[in-house]
Amino acid sequence: MGRFMLRRLCLLPLVVLGVTFLLFFLTQRLSPEMRASLYVKDPRQMGALEEVIRQYGLRDNVFKQYGRWLGNVVHGDLGYSPSANMPVAQALKQYLPATIQLALVTMLLVVFFGVWFGAASAVHKDKWQDIVARFISVGGFSLPIFVLGLILLMVFYGKLHWFAPGGYSIQTDIIIHSSAFKTYTGFLLLDSLLNGQWRVFGDVLSHLVLPALTLCIGSFALMVRVMRSSMLEELNKDYVRTARAKGLRESQIIYKHAGKNAIIPVITLAGIQFIRLLGGTVIVETIFDYPGIGRFGVLAAQQLDIAGILGFSLMVAVLFVVGNLLSDILYTAADPRIRLE
Amino acid sequence: MSEPILQVQDLRLGFATDSGSVPVLHGLSYTLEKGKVLAVVGESGSGKTVHALSLLKLLPPNARIEGGKIIYQGKNLLTMKESSLRHIRGKKIAMIFQDPGSSLNPVLTIGEQLCETLHAHQKISKTASRKRAVELLTQVGITDAEKRLNDYPFQFSGGMCQRVMIAMALALSPDILIADEPTTALDVTIQAQILTLIKNLQKQNGMSVIFITHNLAVAAQIADEVLVLYAGQCMEQAPAAQLFSRPLHPYTQGLLGSLASVRQKTDKLSVIAGNPPRPGDKTEGCPFAARCPKAFEKCYKACPPLYEQAGRSTRCYLQEGK
Repeated sequence: MGRFMLRRLCLLPLVVLGVTFLLFFLTQRLSPEMRASLYVKDPRQMGALEEVIRQYGLRDNVFKQYGRWLGNVVHGDLGYSPSANMPVAQALKQYLPATIQLALVTMLLVVFFGVWFGAASAVHKDKWQDIVARFISVGGFSLPIFVLGLILLMVFYGKLHWFAPGGYSIQTDIIIHSSAFKTYTGFLLLDSLLNGQWRVFGDVLSHLVLPALTLCIGSFALMVRVMRSSMLEELNKDYVRTARAKGLRESQIIYKHAGKNAIIPVITLAGIQFIRLLGGTVIVETIFDYPGIGRFGVLAAQQLDIAGILGFSLMVAVLFVVGNLLSDILYTAADPRIRLE
Repeated sequence: MSEPILQVQDLRLGFATDSGSVPVLHGLSYTLEKGKVLAVVGESGSGKTVHALSLLKLLPPNARIEGGKIIYQGKNLLTMKESSLRHIRGKKIAMIFQDPGSSLNPVLTIGEQLCETLHAHQKISKTASRKRAVELLTQVGITDAEKRLNDYPFQFSGGMCQRVMIAMALALSPDILIADEPTTALDVTIQAQILTLIKNLQKQNGMSVIFITHNLAVAAQIADEVLVLYAGQCMEQAPAAQLFSRPLHPYTQGLLGSLASVRQKTDKLSVIAGNPPRPGDKTEGCPFAARCPKAFEKCYKACPPLYEQAGRSTRCYLQEGK
């Protein structure tokens, strides 16, 4: 296990190098003037352009520039992001917890309801429970998230006014940034609870509901299908018959015996889906103006903020590798036959 | 005369298909005596396993019980509610299956699977059930049982898995053990060990056993009474010694005749010509008539009843009036 993790973590730098170098290489297609212009906002200071290019060595060979960037990254300096108006490292630190929080809440919804609906659908095959679950699943598959997001926005923000649009309320912002508010986990949902700030908790939650719902629908649909077919397969296996012959309760047979086996493919899927969600937040965060790294990445891309784009990709690559590793480890916990060597 | 413990009366069973119900068992009747081993012998497709599963209502969803009774302790198991049947399964009537490898849950430890049987039927503490599990495993010949409780089925060989299944079935000292081809998936030496084990435990606990097999040699080793099943019907039932020394039904004679002998060398193995009828095939007469070397006109017209004589019964017109 330890060796397996070590080997996987050795891959991490390779993935990060690959992704960032590719992007770096692409950004070189832009002329040095274009890259420099982002740092010179005032048209009257166009003369300063040449100075910026010289100062940052933007005319240097691509490998030299990449090497310089990499050297800075190693020292924790990811550059300055004009689009976020702060250093990239600080932006990531600020936005990442919000995204992870969103992805985690979404994942909880997906796994809980996906497993539940999928299992119920298999147990009551061809009954109404199954038909409802299959209907939702097909619907969820065919609905693109940007369409669903916009519909939810129209209904719940526009018509019903259930949730406040845009960023957090001013009171929340004041409380979060006050010195009395202690940061324990970086996740506002937890920190607000730990600080006993119920109103902040409510505000954060209300900003989380619609993005999470939108984000979860695709993964949920997939989860229901996988759980259903996995459960149907397990329920037909010999050991289920053995369990029944032993005189166990039906609930024990379904959840303890069949369920424990049926959940194994779901775990792999959940790992992959979680990583996909972290990437998928880009659209949802933009639609709902949610302050996560997805929105940061989009803004950086729109404004050709190269440092921001590289920082964002670096983060996604790291999350990808770590997420995969975690899902592999979870897998061994669920299935004793798998040993990581 | 010993007392009957389980009575199967006119059991009829079919499988629902798109083209209607296909009958598999055509009125099977027999009585299991207390403390005896009844072997049910038959070819593939004769309805052995389906019959075994129907005893505890463990049938696949497309199977339909179309009639008959299974009487245990004065109650018909077939009409019993699922919740009451649960208290009989595993406690009073236990079952072991053909493929021990897939009959155990791959993601639960042997200990968990053994103990849950105990917990399902009695109030017992975790330490007590674990202790009992160790006893049971030791009883079926698994060494170092204490440690092996934490192992998973994939860490056991096929024979060991079957031992675990037997330990699980015997956990609550049931009255009846149904063994559905328990040695078929095992190699011959292990097969002999498992047979001896079942036989010994049966004697120790005074349990009755219904032993399903397609292997006459196995039946001869273990059974007190043998029932020969063909196309869902009992062809012959007799005490084992009598059946093997003097088979009455031409089918039984054919089966025994087709056994290869080590002592007599032959170039060609003798076989029963033809194939058994497929379930759903309509036959007016005796289902074996088409393959029977002794069949005469009457055999094709109507199915013979069971003729009883001296503690044995045979479904053949040749026994009429004897």
